[in-house]
Amino acid sequence: MPALPRQRKSPTVALFVGLIVTLAAVVAYSGYITRQISGLRALQNNLVDRNRKDSLQLLRIQNDLNSLALAMRDMLDNTEPYPLTAWSAQFQRVRADLDDALRREEQVAVADRTPEQRQYLANSVAQFWDAVDRTFALARDGKQDEARTQIQLSLQARQAVLSTAVARLLVQNNESEEQAAQKIAGIYGRVQRQVYLFLTATLLAILLTSLYLIRSNRQLFAQLAMLSEQRSELAQKLISTQESTLRHISRELHDEFGQILTAVGSMLTRARNHAPQGSPLRTELREVCEIAQGTLDRVRSLSQALHPVMLDESGLEATLDWYLPVVERQSGIHISYEKSGEPFRVDGNAAIHVYRVLQEALNNVTRHSGANEAWVRLRFLAEALEVEVEDHGAGFKVQKATQGIGLVAMRERAELLASRIEFTSPSQGGVLVRLRVPREELIAHAG
Amino acid sequence: MNRRAFLQGLSGLAAGASLPYEIFADPVPQFSPGFRLFDVTAAAGIHFRHNSGAFGGKLLPETLGAGCAFLDYDSDGWQDILLINGMDWPGHKRQRSTLRLYRNNRNGTFSDVTKTAGLDVEMYGMGVAVGDYNNDGHPDILVTCVGQNRLFKNTGKGSFVDVTKASGLGNRQAFSTSAIWFDFDRDGRLDLFVCNYVKWSPEHDVFCSPDGKRKSYCTPEAYRGETCWLFHNRGDGTFEDVTANSGIFDSSSKSLGVAMLDYEPDGWPELLVANDTQPNKLYRNQRNGTFKDVAVDVGIAFSAEGKARAGMGVDVADFDNSGISGVAITNFDNEMIGLYRFAAGNYQDVATQSGVGLPSKTTLGFGCVFLDADLNGALDLAVVNGHIDDTVRNVRGVGYAQPPQLFLNDGKGTFRDVASEIGGEFAAPKVGRGLAYGDFDRDGDLDLLMTTNDGPAYLFRNDQSGGNKSIRIRLIGTKSNRDAIGAVVKIYYGGATQSRLVRGGSSYLSQSELPVTFGVGKRDKIDRLLVQWPSGRTEDFKDVASGHGYECVESKGITALSGF
Repeated sequence: MPALPRQRKSPTVALFVGLIVTLAAVVAYSGYITRQISGLRALQNNLVDRNRKDSLQLLRIQNDLNSLALAMRDMLDNTEPYPLTAWSAQFQRVRADLDDALRREEQVAVADRTPEQRQYLANSVAQFWDAVDRTFALARDGKQDEARTQIQLSLQARQAVLSTAVARLLVQNNESEEQAAQKIAGIYGRVQRQVYLFLTATLLAILLTSLYLIRSNRQLFAQLAMLSEQRSELAQKLISTQESTLRHISRELHDEFGQILTAVGSMLTRARNHAPQGSPLRTELREVCEIAQGTLDRVRSLSQALHPVMLDESGLEATLDWYLPVVERQSGIHISYEKSGEPFRVDGNAAIHVYRVLQEALNNVTRHSGANEAWVRLRFLAEALEVEVEDHGAGFKVQKATQGIGLVAMRERAELLASRIEFTSPSQGGVLVRLRVPREELIAHAG
Repeated sequence: MNRRAFLQGLSGLAAGASLPYEIFADPVPQFSPGFRLFDVTAAAGIHFRHNSGAFGGKLLPETLGAGCAFLDYDSDGWQDILLINGMDWPGHKRQRSTLRLYRNNRNGTFSDVTKTAGLDVEMYGMGVAVGDYNNDGHPDILVTCVGQNRLFKNTGKGSFVDVTKASGLGNRQAFSTSAIWFDFDRDGRLDLFVCNYVKWSPEHDVFCSPDGKRKSYCTPEAYRGETCWLFHNRGDGTFEDVTANSGIFDSSSKSLGVAMLDYEPDGWPELLVANDTQPNKLYRNQRNGTFKDVAVDVGIAFSAEGKARAGMGVDVADFDNSGISGVAITNFDNEMIGLYRFAAGNYQDVATQSGVGLPSKTTLGFGCVFLDADLNGALDLAVVNGHIDDTVRNVRGVGYAQPPQLFLNDGKGTFRDVASEIGGEFAAPKVGRGLAYGDFDRDGDLDLLMTTNDGPAYLFRNDQSGGNKSIRIRLIGTKSNRDAIGAVVKIYYGGATQSRLVRGGSSYLSQSELPVTFGVGKRDKIDRLLVQWPSGRTEDFKDVASGHGYECVESKGITALSGF
């Protein structure tokens, strides 16, 4: 008998720890990604979007300044038949739009705009409109030439200053946008690296866990196989021990008690013959002699039941020919016995196991099926011996629920013969037990 | 009840289910526009071909075409036709071309009376504005030009005299486009507004090219803008330039179309100017002789995307029968027509949801007029299209000649282009520019006059098949300007109201007739007709029969004409 396998530690704890570690990694990674996305969103909201809105307003301001520059050029061209005051309404329209654009720009101006820059822009605008007002005042007073001079000397210069300041802010916005783009690229790069890292760690964890599970499974299956083998060996030894014990008891009963009872019977017969005819003693001796003969019959019957000697002497077929009428007589169940094929001799352990399986199957029929008829078929096939026991009684479920170790023993015996045993339900109900033993196994177990 | 009447009855029921807008119109079943337009140009004796002067120099004015007008120059009650023409450029003289005046022979034909009318004058004409500026009962003509605009005074004897210099409009060289007569100060005399496009002259033409070698037509961005002009009528035959003092002056404008409206409505006329690649202008009349541009404030300066579109033609009318003028502005291809409704203090572009936007997405529109083509009581929109560049198919994949469109108003706020259903002649592709309407055959419906660039003019006669009726009213001012420009006419019937503003100008370089036409469906009469004169006087008339024309003289009542 192989040594019992060493008690292994359960993998559950290790797997649970692995699960916790994996979940913790996922949570940690989710937190990291969330933080990065928040940072990205904040960067976009606070810097990029704001910058873009600011740039749009700056472009609007620049457009207004260009419109003013074009208007001033027209004023200086002196090709229109109108006084300079004619441009007043046009300037006012641009001023309204410019003021609105500046107000909106102030609201969305980027955070890193210095107070000095804000002040400079405000002052430049104020100085420009102050110069515009003074120019139109001169024009209204009829001083067209002075007004034109004012446009050349002051207005155009101030417009240029403003335009330069706005252009500088646009450039600054552009630089900020580039920096933001770099920051965003950095965030994307970090996130990408972390994604790769996380994926690698996850794959590694999955790999290790899988290897661990494979190893544990292999060990478990090996252990199960060993236990199954041990169980099978144990069962075979039990069956073997049982058979040898039964054979021994059967022989003892037949040989020892049979001889004794036979001798007692002979002696009683002789004693009866010495007793006077018609005497009470002769009558009593006859009765004792009959009792001894009955006991002898029962001992012989028990001996046959425990281990039919016929199996050893005449083989399976002859034993069944004898056994089935006995069962029919004892149980009151009508048994239809069919044989087919070219008979061959089955004896030894193979005959014992086939006989025990058939015996157990018939026991089930008599004890559990409730049927009053059964069919036994013995088929001598070219490659195997097939034995069938069929009844149309209560069925397999009832039998399985009520019988004990019998089925297990039948399977074990079938396994000992490397044969196949089937338990099926015929269409009429009941149970059909079919044992199919290969010829080579019959030969191998014939000794 | 025949099949048509039954179906129209059903349509009427459907319309009545969604008050109040729908009840103003009698929808015509979609499968039948209810009218057809027939090309009667040749049959009417109109043989005109526009001369853009194109010789290969690709000069900017060659792309813009010229306008047309319906006018009753001889005051006989029949609409005559005026077609403006360009001319050959100096140094490239090949032919003599002048504008053409066609007198209505009252039998469906016209006679060319250009010479006898004294209009056989060569000029690079662009647009036309017709108005009786001296209130003598005879319409005078302003022709806008590349160069010097011309004012022709009607002598009342079938001829005109050039009074450009005497009127004070001389000595002005510009690239003028559309013009409009209107009485902005309500003094009873028509004043003049002239659109100018860009600062351009043949000597200062800019070289534009797609490949750096071959010259092509420039877009307006290549040129500086030019202010529009406003001239105040002094009443003595002369005009005073009030451009600067009135607040109209804007040297950034690149104006092509102008229309008069009263969106507030307070009786003081406003002006809507369509600018090309510049914001449109809406000059609000401040009732003191000055205007203020409020186009940005009321949402009509830019497209919904905030872009200044290439505005070409413009017309205003109460197309949703709300009592306040809506606006249509034609634009460049890929920009859609702008169709604006006035609501909650702002103009909203409803082109897309009304069904006008998508069909006009790939067309380049010029002339546009609101008219009730099927006389169902809802103003429809006619548009002529055509590209500016004859090589456009190679560059942009759209045609140079493009089909005109007639968007039929179903009275529920939805328009459907039925051009292909009202006669193949109308829907044939053309390089359309000017567009005007007028009832030249006096059958009570509105006919269309169309010009093309470097091509023929077209006269389309409108023949009704749906049995709808109309009422036409010609107003004659006494205290107000004699043409009654600025007057509002409203009609009431069965809980519905329609209104028309007597207006000149509009469309593109063109002018439609001054009488107003109301379609009233199958009604034999209307309950009420109300006239609000520019002078402030209001006149009310009850139970006016349809199927007639009327002449209404301020303070003297209304007279039914025999027929229209």
